[in-house]
Amino acid sequence: MTATPSIEVDHLTKRYGDVTAVDDVSLAIHPGEIFGFLGPNGAGKSTTIRTLLDLIRPTSGECRILGLDSRRDAVEIHRRIGFLPADLALWPNLTGRQTLEYLAHLRGGVDWAWVDALAERLGADLSPKVGEYSSGNRQKVGILQAFMHRPDVVILDEPITGLDPLVQLEFHALLRETADAGGTVFLSSHTISEVERVADRVGFIRRGHLIAVERMSELHDKALRRITLEFASPVPADAFAGVEGVREASAEGVTVTAQYEGSMAPLLQVATAHDVLSVSSASVDLDEIFLAFYRDEVAAAGDDPDAPSHAPAGAA
Amino acid sequence: MLRSVYLKTLRDRWLGAAIGVVALFLVAWMGIAAFSGMDDAAEFIEAMPEAYLSITGISSEGGVVGMMLSNMFNFMGPFVVAGLGVSMAAAAIAGEEVDGTMNVLGAAPRSRSRLLASKALAAATVVVATAIAASLSYALAASLPGEDLTGVNLTAATVHLVVVALLFAAVALAIGAATGNRAMASAVSVGLIVVSFFVAGILPLVPGWEDVAKASPWYWLNGPAPMLNGVDWAPLLVLLAIAGVLVALAFVGVNRRDLGSGAVRAPLMDRLRADPRLGRAVALVSGAGSTRGIAAKALTDVRALVLIGGAFVAFQSLVVAVLFNAIGADIGDLVSSMPDAILAMIGFVDMSTPEGFLSGEVLSIVAPLVTILVGVNAGAALVGEERRRTSSVLLVMPVSRAGVAWRKAVAVGIGPVVVGVFVAAGFALGNAVGGLGMSYGGVLAAGVMVAALGWFFGALAFAIGGVTGRAQSATAGTGGLAVLAWGANAFLPVNPDYASWARLSPLHWYAHDNPLESGVAWDGLALLAGLAAVLVAVGVAGYARRDLRG
Repeated sequence: MTATPSIEVDHLTKRYGDVTAVDDVSLAIHPGEIFGFLGPNGAGKSTTIRTLLDLIRPTSGECRILGLDSRRDAVEIHRRIGFLPADLALWPNLTGRQTLEYLAHLRGGVDWAWVDALAERLGADLSPKVGEYSSGNRQKVGILQAFMHRPDVVILDEPITGLDPLVQLEFHALLRETADAGGTVFLSSHTISEVERVADRVGFIRRGHLIAVERMSELHDKALRRITLEFASPVPADAFAGVEGVREASAEGVTVTAQYEGSMAPLLQVATAHDVLSVSSASVDLDEIFLAFYRDEVAAAGDDPDAPSHAPAGAA
Repeated sequence: MLRSVYLKTLRDRWLGAAIGVVALFLVAWMGIAAFSGMDDAAEFIEAMPEAYLSITGISSEGGVVGMMLSNMFNFMGPFVVAGLGVSMAAAAIAGEEVDGTMNVLGAAPRSRSRLLASKALAAATVVVATAIAASLSYALAASLPGEDLTGVNLTAATVHLVVVALLFAAVALAIGAATGNRAMASAVSVGLIVVSFFVAGILPLVPGWEDVAKASPWYWLNGPAPMLNGVDWAPLLVLLAIAGVLVALAFVGVNRRDLGSGAVRAPLMDRLRADPRLGRAVALVSGAGSTRGIAAKALTDVRALVLIGGAFVAFQSLVVAVLFNAIGADIGDLVSSMPDAILAMIGFVDMSTPEGFLSGEVLSIVAPLVTILVGVNAGAALVGEERRRTSSVLLVMPVSRAGVAWRKAVAVGIGPVVVGVFVAAGFALGNAVGGLGMSYGGVLAAGVMVAALGWFFGALAFAIGGVTGRAQSATAGTGGLAVLAWGANAFLPVNPDYASWARLSPLHWYAHDNPLESGVAWDGLALLAGLAAVLVAVGVAGYARRDLRG
């Protein structure tokens, strides 16, 4: 953790005309880390990544990967990183193997035994043309080209799109192995369950602003949970306001939903004063945790924290 | 008919059609203005032989306007209008399949027949509207220099143009709807257009073969001289009936097969490739796609176009050489009685010599077309990676931006050279077979100049794409400029007052003197190659500097 960060974003801003896609974002990711980059569609995730890769250039600020400047040392950086773009496009007239050969030549050769083992592991069939692939198989070729040269840093933009659950598991195991071997994984996603499953730290970006970066373990310690109570007759949400541990409560008809941390007892005491028909409780999605803890920052970014998030809720 | 599909298809295409009309207008305007500025225009038209007037459908009352417009209706107009129709008809169903949007469209509660009908009607609408707009623009082009349309039946010529263009579009519609293969539908239809253009243009010159030319749809643009005699309905009804049958086949075909979903499938090509006897030849032409590096892949990506286009020019060179041997004396008589001004269209060549005839038939139109096509395809490949979004993968390889761009530019350098080699080889073979006695130095020079022209336009497309990142600007912009450059070089020189403006056209520097006679034009070669180098450098610099799209 004390070594040079693998990825360093330093006051990065990217504007397109009047639109600010990324606004003064700074973050640092270290070797051995899997960093989850979370945010709704259009939050600035892909813009940040494309700047890291020198596909687009910052309006101001800078990025460093492995201590190298993203603009000046782009070629050396590209040599040592792997990248899987979102909504992957490949050359339809090449087969999967030809695609890998083409990119391997551009990298000055790769260890094909490793590539074949990786293909075997993901169950990738490399003989058909890319144009004839299903999206899942095309995505496997995308993963192979990102990992085939054993990069120090992998940057993945929505990597599990189209992959079946078993391949997703295998892929996440690969990410963990990469990090355990000292590599760095930058995982951009709006699939919360994926980030929860594999990431060590999570950054939350909204409307171009990096709202917060949290350690996954600390987020879990915040242990925000949600309870849904169904009553025989309507109970006002106010009944739960100010109860110890309750952060937020809302009522709709006979149903009251509340988020709380710590013990459930004070909340239940209030609830049982009424005629409770059913109780259900679940972990709160990462997205909601962020919204609950960083209301002010989200509001400052120009977003309404009470509006429902664009991100699909994943099971915890 | 589905109104929303019809309107969307029109909206997708109106800009392309409008650009086509503007280009046609500009060429017609340049031509008419140049001719009408000449004092002796009327005299030289009257001095032309009766045979020529009847072939080209020019009436002496039609004057310079009629002469220029017969060129527009027999050459440039049909290529633009039929080209638009073919491109729309080929994509009618197959285009949605290739784009993968058929998954959404096909799931709508509307039948395939209605979908096809909407698309086909949109294509027909664009063909008719483009033809009418172009004709109206010719009237404007004539009135600007103060000419009028006396003796020119613009309506009849437009009707003939529309019917022939609809026939070609119907071919593309039938193939695209029945196979789902857009590339094949447009390739076959464009091939048919080109072949029928040559059949209609060359066969009437060969004694005994005049009637065979009537089998070519292109012949009916001008064979019955509609500009002079009005609409000749009988052959047009036959053409419409054939088009009707083709459209019916399209409806049958589209309802009988599986719809594709974004997959680039060419069952026919795959079957040919699997054939042990044909496989190697097919792989060579269609290109297995080299994966050795960016430059090698860029070259194999244009290989099919280079080989097919090059072979076509070489074959034409050979045929024309042999043809000259057969009819040289007749053509010499016909052409020598014409005023020089007419010959401007084919570059002021003396058609009575083999060098002049070959230059007029090959170097003035076909060879430039092929070499420009190859150059622009190679030049637009760099920006094409952005349009297809593959740049996100390619540009994170350990190769610099400029390095990728330079490697892509290699194909711009080599592609046109290969076309030049084909042209020279065709001429050399024709020279030997036909015993024409041309200098082989001149033959080589022709190949060199063809290559240089391809370099310039390829580099132009490369620069536009490199700087803007817009694939369509690179291809359509360069294509439009090429058409204008051709028109300026063909028509401005007939009027001494405007002649020096033709020097702005790259086509002028390509062949201001016939290379078959005078060898390499060193000033032209230096200018074209030098500008190409500058444009490539601009493209590389622009590409390295800007944000990538996609």
